[in-house]
Amino acid sequence: MRGLVKWAADAGTGFWRAAALTAVSMVVPAVWAAAVWLMIAWGSPWAATAPALWAVVATFLLARPICRTFRFFRRSWTGVVVPGGYREPVPAVQMSTGYWWNGSSYAKSRREAEKDQRLRMLWSDPATWRDLRFVWIAPFMVGIAAAVPLAGVACLVWGILDPGLVSILLAGVGLVAAVGAAPYAWRVIAPVTDRFLRGSPAMILADRVDELTAQRADTTVAQAAEISRIERDLHDGAQARLVGLGLSLATAEKLMENDPETARALLRDARAGAAASLSELRELVRGIRPAVLNERGLTDAVRAFALDSPLETTVSTDVQLSLDAPIESALYFGVAELLTNAAKHASATKATVLIARDSTSIAIEVEDDGKGGANEQNGGGLAGLRRRLAVFDGDLKITSPVGGPTRVRMSVPCE
Amino acid sequence: MRVVVAEDLYLLRDGMVRLLEAYGHTVVGTASTGPETLEALRTLKPDVSILDVRMPPTQSDEGLRAALAARSEMPGLPVLILSQHVEQLYARELLADGTGGVGYFLKESVFDADQFMDALERVAGGGTAMDPVVISKLLASGSSNRRLEALTEREHSVLGLMAEGLSNQAIAKRLFLGDSAISKYTTSLFGKLGITDDDSSNRRVLAVLAYLNRAG
Repeated sequence: MRGLVKWAADAGTGFWRAAALTAVSMVVPAVWAAAVWLMIAWGSPWAATAPALWAVVATFLLARPICRTFRFFRRSWTGVVVPGGYREPVPAVQMSTGYWWNGSSYAKSRREAEKDQRLRMLWSDPATWRDLRFVWIAPFMVGIAAAVPLAGVACLVWGILDPGLVSILLAGVGLVAAVGAAPYAWRVIAPVTDRFLRGSPAMILADRVDELTAQRADTTVAQAAEISRIERDLHDGAQARLVGLGLSLATAEKLMENDPETARALLRDARAGAAASLSELRELVRGIRPAVLNERGLTDAVRAFALDSPLETTVSTDVQLSLDAPIESALYFGVAELLTNAAKHASATKATVLIARDSTSIAIEVEDDGKGGANEQNGGGLAGLRRRLAVFDGDLKITSPVGGPTRVRMSVPCE
Repeated sequence: MRVVVAEDLYLLRDGMVRLLEAYGHTVVGTASTGPETLEALRTLKPDVSILDVRMPPTQSDEGLRAALAARSEMPGLPVLILSQHVEQLYARELLADGTGGVGYFLKESVFDADQFMDALERVAGGGTAMDPVVISKLLASGSSNRRLEALTEREHSVLGLMAEGLSNQAIAKRLFLGDSAISKYTTSLFGKLGITDDDSSNRRVLAVLAYLNRAG
């Protein structure tokens, strides 16, 4: 009984989906049918060129919205995102001459520049030609299959309105066909969109190259900044102190015989200076890579950080991790950043850190009981964290409604 | 005292040996790797040993592991850990057995040789000696333990100094108070922390443990 109800429900939604698919995939054939009808109606061969021209333009303009609709259906019905791979226009910029440059030509106003760019993009984007191909393929490969339930219903209606031996027989066949095909007919969308609507491998590759180039630039800049920070800290801090230490020792050596009291005081200062430069060096090293991380690995390093954190933090994990050092560092500093944010900006009192891994990735989730409202625009730290994870193809998910709680999940793929 | 020194850097090990000998102690053995350290602790059974955390072969926490392993075989074996950095995590692990005879210091604490030798002797005598950095971190991170919240400010500072390993006399000197006042404070804070007189373990160690276990 329950199976039957479920099947009926499937048939119901399937019927509407099939109807929607048929409608969308038949738009272009309908346009052309109208054009042919007009040509025949007008008769004269010269008058016929106009409808043909309109049909061409309409196909060209409709291709992209139709493909977007297919992608939308695919995403909302099956949860699979088929990437469009369309080229993005570069923003038009005003030159010192007052003209606008859109990447390929000058125009007097921004609007003109952007219009020109849109047309150019539409023409030169390989995705446009793929979309055009698709709107011709769709009626045959999607439209016909999806139309089966509709045709069945049409037969049924015809049989009821015009009862006769043939039509009643046809109505029966129609009913069976409609009900039988409804839950399945719309599913044809999956293989067809996968095969014909995906960006071409070249396009996906080009996107990936762009992404990696941007990441490399980011990383290089960040590393250079970090190195110059370390250099500055060493130069102004420990290095200067050691020079002072040497001076004190030299002076003490000189004073040793004549003024042992002052010499002793200088030696005491020197000792304090050595201790201070050691603690400076320690802080510096900790900022590069904390010692516990080297000695114990990620889990214990996070535990050690949690102990020093003003939040009451529980760290739970059931895995033994052996990660590459750069990934370990990135995740450690990520947790450190999140816990620091929670204490500083969200006025949280408690936090939990959950470390888990599956066969393909490692994920760390940090949750606090703070006031929430964290986002990447306000906190430059979160955007930075996303960039640092992106280097490893990692991902950052933030859920932080105003009023809390904040939950941030970092994940990095690894074997 | 008979001392074992485990440190992988020759200069540091040598300097430490010289310092110890200058203060009249006997260095009965040195070690430069984790396994060597454990072996030396087992066979020599020194009065106290000074261990570095990070040593070969793994360059991870070999020294600490050796100390924990040796102490699980010989409870109360006095060890003083010297490290480039101090971590609460390590301090907790050292104190976890509650038997005392442990110390955990930053390497630069040897600069103040008198105080360092003092701490070393405390550890050898079964007491504890914690770097003020560890203790100040604990104080700074606040306390969520209800028992600790019951302490007055003065009791807090007495407990902090006790956790560093100072004796009642030393605490009295540091806080400019009389010995009798300090023993009054210690009695009341032991009471508040629920540490009774008949506890067989070192009461001071238990007080430090209460500190360290504040979050867990």
